[in-house]
Amino acid sequence: MADSVKQNTLLSWLVDPLQSTRETAERAYRFTGDRRSWLVPFLLGAALLVISALGGWQRPDDFFFAYLVGWTFLLTTALGGLLFLIFHHLTRASWSIVVHRINEGLIWAFPLLLLLGVPLLFGMHDLYHWTHADLYDPSSSHYDEILAGKRAYLNIPFWGARLVLYFAAWTIVSYRLYTLSVRQDVDPDPDIPAKLRSTSAWGLPLTGVTLAFASYDILMSTDPHWFSTIFGVYFFSGGILSAVSVIALVALLLQKTGGLLRGVITKEHYQDLGKYMFGFTVFWAYIAFSQYMLYWYGGIPEETVWFQHRLQNGWQWHSAALVLFHFVVPFLVLLPRAPKRTSVVLSVMAVWLIGMHWFDLHWVTIPVLRESGGFHWLDFTCWLGLTGIFAGALMYRLRRHSLIPQNHPYLGESLHFENT
Amino acid sequence: MLRTLIQEVKASMGIYESDADQVYGLLAEFPNPGVLLDAAEATRKEGYRHFDAHSPFPIHGMDDAMGLGNAVGVGVSTFFGGLTGFATACLLQWWTGAVDYPLNISGKPFFAVEPSVPIMFELTVLFAGFGAVAGMLALNGLPRPYNPLFYSDRFEGVTDDRFFLHVAASDEQFDAEETAKMLRNLGAVHIELVQDDGLADS
Repeated sequence: MADSVKQNTLLSWLVDPLQSTRETAERAYRFTGDRRSWLVPFLLGAALLVISALGGWQRPDDFFFAYLVGWTFLLTTALGGLLFLIFHHLTRASWSIVVHRINEGLIWAFPLLLLLGVPLLFGMHDLYHWTHADLYDPSSSHYDEILAGKRAYLNIPFWGARLVLYFAAWTIVSYRLYTLSVRQDVDPDPDIPAKLRSTSAWGLPLTGVTLAFASYDILMSTDPHWFSTIFGVYFFSGGILSAVSVIALVALLLQKTGGLLRGVITKEHYQDLGKYMFGFTVFWAYIAFSQYMLYWYGGIPEETVWFQHRLQNGWQWHSAALVLFHFVVPFLVLLPRAPKRTSVVLSVMAVWLIGMHWFDLHWVTIPVLRESGGFHWLDFTCWLGLTGIFAGALMYRLRRHSLIPQNHPYLGESLHFENT
Repeated sequence: MLRTLIQEVKASMGIYESDADQVYGLLAEFPNPGVLLDAAEATRKEGYRHFDAHSPFPIHGMDDAMGLGNAVGVGVSTFFGGLTGFATACLLQWWTGAVDYPLNISGKPFFAVEPSVPIMFELTVLFAGFGAVAGMLALNGLPRPYNPLFYSDRFEGVTDDRFFLHVAASDEQFDAEETAKMLRNLGAVHIELVQDDGLADS
């Protein structure tokens, strides 16, 4: 590391691997809020998690599934942000420089998420049917020939090793993208943009492949008989939609409630973020429907069973709501130019889409646990609790550094960006 | 009343009518795109509405200078084109599959939403594209093979290296002398009165 940007102690490394560079930030780009900006969401999140843990004492399986949905929500959002940043570096996009630091704050999430994922290890037996030992005993009445065939892949040691590998890969890529960019704030080394690009070049396939396998391991294997080859893309499409919404929402919060970055992030940037929200809404619908239509056409029972369950016992309302509120409504609202340039509408849509991403993951995961549709209060407390801690860590990072990469060579272009 | 309305709609497409003396308007030539941009802005601020700028290439900022704003019309015609395509696809799938020629294919319903969605998607995109192109052509008053400005010999240079501002005689404020004076003050190097009797062979 350069002398100008120092590393932190191990504990705070989880939240921010760098010491504060706040003093070197230009005044206009400095976060001026006090510690409440990160402490309040963090404490609210922690309180909700304590309540969830108490509820989990009574209903462990409800707790673990709700926790898995909330945790996966944050994981997909962080991964979406990582890929969003990677392809902006690779295409040398200049419009987005002013929102890069928010994105970079979002992606330094994987060490903390790995730690927050530890409670799930205690629920492996509830969450993952394939962990049951009697499935693999030919003399048992529970012997399952199909799962026995998948045992070489779906077993706890290999599953754990894979997850560690995924998190290591994501941490390395995000560490380089985050720290190189922050270092540029204090040391405008002209080689840094090229380093960011080359990291993105090998980081893109690495993240893409590990993300796809992570989607199989974390979510798809909750229903271990079922399989879908498009599941990784589905996992990604919702995550990147959520990530773009988070970036837009954080930018709007900093401007509207914090009075920061006035004239730095403009309507022109919001319109582009809105275009991405619109685009990934359509992309999500395209992928989600592609998965459904092929199984509908094939009509093979072991494939259709997954959707059949989600079209019965109250889950059909969740499915219908997903089509309507995850696709039709955001599609029509974000289609014209004006809503993307109106901060109130865009912030409502950002919150809406973030919520719909959680609803989507809830629809994917919870039918494995419960026969009939609906919600349990733990679904909400686990999700919001984890999100509070995550948001607190994000605000903590933003507070410690310049709010935009102030020495990026394309910054001037980004500041004067206009949609034609 | 209706005649004025039609005139206004045509003027919004850049199609202006000659006045009673068969004067089509003033064609002013400017030395470079910067002067043309400033002249267009000044002309708008003077209160003129029926005028158009001509240049060999797009000039950044010209839309704002001329007060053109965002062309909402293209978006609207694209949207309704898309809706038409969506409705056409629904009808097509239902009528061919369930009414005109029902075929039992591996026990699937004669009409179902699932296999129809790709058709709905494609026709929505196709018709939205048609709507966008048709809207763009209509709002620009295109195709338009005849334009009185073609009678000006100097105007031939507009596809090469010349920059023109045309103030139409149909504008309420138009006055051949006053307008010419204003254009000269704005930096016009050459001003020409274009006449049009509406006959192609003149």
